Amino acid sequence: MLSTKGHVIERLLQGAFICRTTDEDGWRFLMVPGNREEVDVYLGQLNRQVATVGTGADGEVFFCGYRQFDDDERKVISQQFRDICQALTPIAEWLVLVQEAAAQDAPLTEGAPLRLNELQTVIEDTPALREQLGRISHYRLFGSTSPTVDTQVKLVFKRLCELGYLIRPNPEKQIYLATGKLDYLYEVIRFIDEAEGLGLEAQAELASQGQLL
Amino acid sequence: MSGTLRQSGVRFLRQLGRQAEPIMDAYLAGSVADDTLEPGVQERLVKDGILYRPEPGADLHLRRVVRALLEEALRDERNRQIDANTGSALASFKTLADHYKEAHHHGDHAAAEVYLADLREHVYAFGETLQHGIRVLWSRINNEFGYVGTLNAKIRENELAQTQVSELLSGLELVSFQALAETAGDLRELRHLLVTNLQRTLSACTQELSIVQGRLLELLGRFREIRGRTRLLKGWLLHMEQHPDYEVAPHAAARSVPRLFNQAAPVLAPASLDIHDPTLEAELLALLAPIRAQQTQDRPAQSLGDAPELTLHTPDAFEVRSSPIRMAVDAYFCQVIDSGQAISALDYHQQETLPWDAESWLYQVIGGYDGLPEAQKHHFELDMIGEPHPLYSGNFIIRDLRLWLA
Repeated sequence: MLSTKGHVIERLLQGAFICRTTDEDGWRFLMVPGNREEVDVYLGQLNRQVATVGTGADGEVFFCGYRQFDDDERKVISQQFRDICQALTPIAEWLVLVQEAAAQDAPLTEGAPLRLNELQTVIEDTPALREQLGRISHYRLFGSTSPTVDTQVKLVFKRLCELGYLIRPNPEKQIYLATGKLDYLYEVIRFIDEAEGLGLEAQAELASQGQLL
Repeated sequence: MSGTLRQSGVRFLRQLGRQAEPIMDAYLAGSVADDTLEPGVQERLVKDGILYRPEPGADLHLRRVVRALLEEALRDERNRQIDANTGSALASFKTLADHYKEAHHHGDHAAAEVYLADLREHVYAFGETLQHGIRVLWSRINNEFGYVGTLNAKIRENELAQTQVSELLSGLELVSFQALAETAGDLRELRHLLVTNLQRTLSACTQELSIVQGRLLELLGRFREIRGRTRLLKGWLLHMEQHPDYEVAPHAAARSVPRLFNQAAPVLAPASLDIHDPTLEAELLALLAPIRAQQTQDRPAQSLGDAPELTLHTPDAFEVRSSPIRMAVDAYFCQVIDSGQAISALDYHQQETLPWDAESWLYQVIGGYDGLPEAQKHHFELDMIGEPHPLYSGNFIIRDLRLWLA
């Protein structure tokens, strides 16, 4: 049997994001600074380190980052950055769709449950949401060619599970949980917003005030 | 006097009980229309101070005290009222304490007793009001302001709660124990009530209020973050819509990679099984068992309809044909037996001008020898003629074979 430490190291080296939802034991282990240091020392031999992102005491997400950069590492990171930038818009649209369908004012965050059947029913009953889903599922990230809501929704969920944004704790139920990787995505948008001075929050607020008027 | 008070109190409570339904309707709906109540009932309720008309022409509303009683009894979470008026409470303490002191001074013990009881009631009520306020705050924190729908409303509610907390705290600051001690003078009862008791209540409440304040700030931070995220998402989509040719700058290519994008490539692939490890035998067998079970299940079951008709007939005769090279090897063995001498396999090959190449022939002879039954085998000896490999030890190159009778 692998110890928690071994398990955490294995998951990190596989490129996984460790958050409370995906791996509570590992997450608790890494929340202890001493343990994190031990893992860090081990990963240091492979030119890697424990990286964290997130806010608050419960929202931390751990993943594996490089310690030093050479050309190869830079290439990998640039490729990953391109990948995540391509995923930003489709996933952001999907998150807004989910939020609107559930009539909630909070977007999906780590640990939030999502019921595929409920979502599907709402989307099927609302033409605007149906159209939105059609557009989202035809993005290359999801790559659907199907015209029916049923297959589109299922494909989008399947892809999001593959990409690690959702998990399905019980394979017999259509209940999904959002993972810490979604929080990572928010951080990426926030970073781009701050780095390029896009003022996204102000834009959104202005637009919503415009709607109110 | 207390007899009449008691009677009218009981009558009042009965009145409440009798009119429970219209009162609860008024509580839930906020008001009752004139025509829903019988005129007599309405008049009585207004006269007893249970309902009142806030302005001419308006519907009847529940009096604040009755509403507060219900909110408290029902633990209604919409109850936002918090009484932070410490100043007036302190003033009433002082007044009652002065009454008590005067009566005490004049030796009127009966009156002093009444004043003390009154003061005690006020002090306890003050503590109770504070604790009630804190309880209300906690109940709002615990369900995260669940009684309002939108996030913005929650943020506003949180801000209201924060001002209430700071008002309560600044009210508590008004309490000066020095002044209270002076008021109490050297009267033991008074000192106990105004100093010891109040101090205990206040320190507990102040401590709890500071915790409440911390939690409120934390919640507010979370609400703001959630709102920030929603705005971030919508802002991003809006931006992409307004600037279709927008491309994210290559942040990850900067000289110093931002921490956020420093994500290492996965390096670990699943390990393979070591089937030679005897310690794993139990696990391996356990793994193997379901695979076998699956295979037998997966085998397509032929339906009976597809099966050809089964008929019994004598099987076609067939014979096993031995290959010519095997027959040649047998002939070679016979030759050795006949001559009783050792014969080289290659010599025999040349002598008989066999069609196969020498190497195949040698292999076949070795195969033929090894293939003999054990009883026959030890009648023969097979010598391998050759030399070890010049470079690689352990390799023996066979040039020729010699078979002879043992």
